[in-house]
Amino acid sequence: MAKSKKEIISIQSVSKIYNLGETVVKALDNVSLSIYDNDYISIMGPSGSGKSTLMNIIGCLDVPTKGKYKFKDELISEMDDNQLANIRNEKIGFVFQTFNLLPKLNAMQNVEVPLIYSSLGRKERIERAEEALHIVGLQDRMTHKPNELSGGQRQRVAIARALVNKPSIILADEPTGNLDSKSGNEILKFFAKLHKDGNTIIMVTHEESVAKLSKRRIDIFDGKIARDE
Amino acid sequence: MEKLLEMNNFFKNIIIGLFSVRSNLTRVILTASGLTIGIFTVSIVSAAVSSIDKEFAKSMDYYGNDKVYVGTWPWSFDFDWWKYRNRPKIEESSLEYITQYSEYITDVSIKKNTWTRATYGNKASWVQLNGVYPSYQDMLSGTKIENGRFFSQNEWDLQRRVIIVGGTVRDGFFQGKDPIGKKIRLNNVTFEIIGELKKQGIGMVPGGTLDNLVIMPSTTFERILTRWGFDELVLQTNPEDIPLAKEEVGMIMRVARKIPPGDDDNFAVNSADAYMEQFNTMKNAIAGMGFLVTGISLVVSAIGIMNVMFVSVRERTREIGLRKAMGATNFNILTQFLSEAVAIAIIGGSVGIALIRLTVFGLASFPIPNFNGATLPISFDLLLVFYTFTVCVFIGVLAGLIPARTAANLNPIDALRDE
Ligand SMILES: Nc1ncnc2c1ncn2[C@@H]1O[C@H](COP(=O)(O)OP(=O)(O)OP(=O)(O)O)[C@@H](O)[C@H]1O
Ligand SMILES: [Mg+2]
Repeated sequence: MAKSKKEIISIQSVSKIYNLGETVVKALDNVSLSIYDNDYISIMGPSGSGKSTLMNIIGCLDVPTKGKYKFKDELISEMDDNQLANIRNEKIGFVFQTFNLLPKLNAMQNVEVPLIYSSLGRKERIERAEEALHIVGLQDRMTHKPNELSGGQRQRVAIARALVNKPSIILADEPTGNLDSKSGNEILKFFAKLHKDGNTIIMVTHEESVAKLSKRRIDIFDGKIARDE
Repeated sequence: MEKLLEMNNFFKNIIIGLFSVRSNLTRVILTASGLTIGIFTVSIVSAAVSSIDKEFAKSMDYYGNDKVYVGTWPWSFDFDWWKYRNRPKIEESSLEYITQYSEYITDVSIKKNTWTRATYGNKASWVQLNGVYPSYQDMLSGTKIENGRFFSQNEWDLQRRVIIVGGTVRDGFFQGKDPIGKKIRLNNVTFEIIGELKKQGIGMVPGGTLDNLVIMPSTTFERILTRWGFDELVLQTNPEDIPLAKEEVGMIMRVARKIPPGDDDNFAVNSADAYMEQFNTMKNAIAGMGFLVTGISLVVSAIGIMNVMFVSVRERTREIGLRKAMGATNFNILTQFLSEAVAIAIIGGSVGIALIRLTVFGLASFPIPNFNGATLPISFDLLLVFYTFTVCVFIGVLAGLIPARTAANLNPIDALRDE
């Protein structure tokens, strides 16, 4: 990795251990990892290897059992719930396999959700949400409910929602997993564009072809990083 | 401005929440109706109690706090008809004993009671008739002669057909014009109006209104109105002497009636305070029942709201997870669900207020004839609205707290994984 790049995430000897009475599951086992500004990473590995666990920790949804997690200069592994919520709100954009749009809200309102938890005024919220929907090319679908949109469109709304707070990093756990290959490719093209525009993206995928589109590839096996290049 | 925007968010959260529980609409309505019933009952009951109080005080004025009444029946609600019906009538002659032996009684009068038809031209009305002594002029309580005069000793002696009338006679028979000197017929006998009593309005005690009262000399009464009726002795004393006076009068009555020691009284010595006690018991019973019903419906609706909220949290676990992933703090989620619970409670309360409003309207347009055209004095005011909303917010917060906390404390990963 080029040393000139700015490090935004530093994970040092992080473990996530689930103690299930009889058995102890090491979902992550002593993982160290640095993520740099404008990285485009795909994470691969067999089912149950710890990909989602890693994503959840990077995304501040989960805290490591052991180890240090630094986001820019902030020590995430020491933060409380409110601080974590704040980091998630300001610094991280999530894209889920199952979109996770709120069915009663239209595209615009769905994109606005993260902004509700920031300190923005209403006018600015609308502007930002409109802008984000423009970026994903859904400016004429703003008032559509999720059930009035195709799978690919839904995922684009979800991406708009992830972008709307101008996060430092976008986390996508199998973003194409629920899409047909055509819509999936569209989303991937979209990620490529976001990366070109300077965004940092981490994506979990099962498909070699998808992983090839990224600039860096991390393989996880049994909670350990098996390959990083 | 920022605050306003925050408020806007807050209400938006409520609306989002309410939309989401739309699937439970029936349950929401059922739950809210508990509060409706509660709010409705409590205001009806407190209106009833306060109007009982008000009317009762008015009626108490009529009986006076400085009088002792001797009659056949005790003033209580536990009528034991079989016990009292064979008692001898009150004899006017007992008054002589009382005047002679009593220390506490300062003045006495007979009070003969009956009802009869009063007519003037082609107008007719039922009136309450009292036949009394001239001394009764000074014993009138709760009213006074407002116009004209009371009858004199001479008129009493001569059994003159002169009457003092209550406030409704003027309006009923004379279109609000001065009735003094006019002649009306009672039981087909002509009487001259010589005095008029101050108008009272309604009273709740039986016979407790003075407005359709007609007072005449007891001698005249006896000569002309031999029909159904009953007699009472009205005895004047001082308010502080009432208990002693009653005891004393009871003893004198036993002497007058020659009741052997050990036998029960065959008369009743009454006073307004005893009546008051009875009335308070009744009032407390009404209030107690009302508050019990209110309490139960509030508890039931609180449990109902809690249940609806638990269902809502269950159904929206993924949403909670998502919101948390998007940066919602535990507190954000807590307020979202609390405000939902409060909103449900307020819906119920608002319907209650609407019902009360309708009831007030309804009562206002249907005067109650027994009360001389007055309406039940339920009032609808902003204070009621304020109290209702306070109660609703309280119930909502109370009922929503546990479900909302459950929601707030959900782990975002588990919540997102929820199917
Ligand atoms: N809450 C939990 N309690 C116990 N064990 C857990 C929990 N969450 C995850 N695990 C375990 O941790 C391991 C890693 O899970 P993870 O979800 O990270 O896998 P994954 O790589 O994302 O798999 P997939 O490709 O199927 O999504 C698995 O063995 C899983 O059973
Ligand atoms: Mg996974």
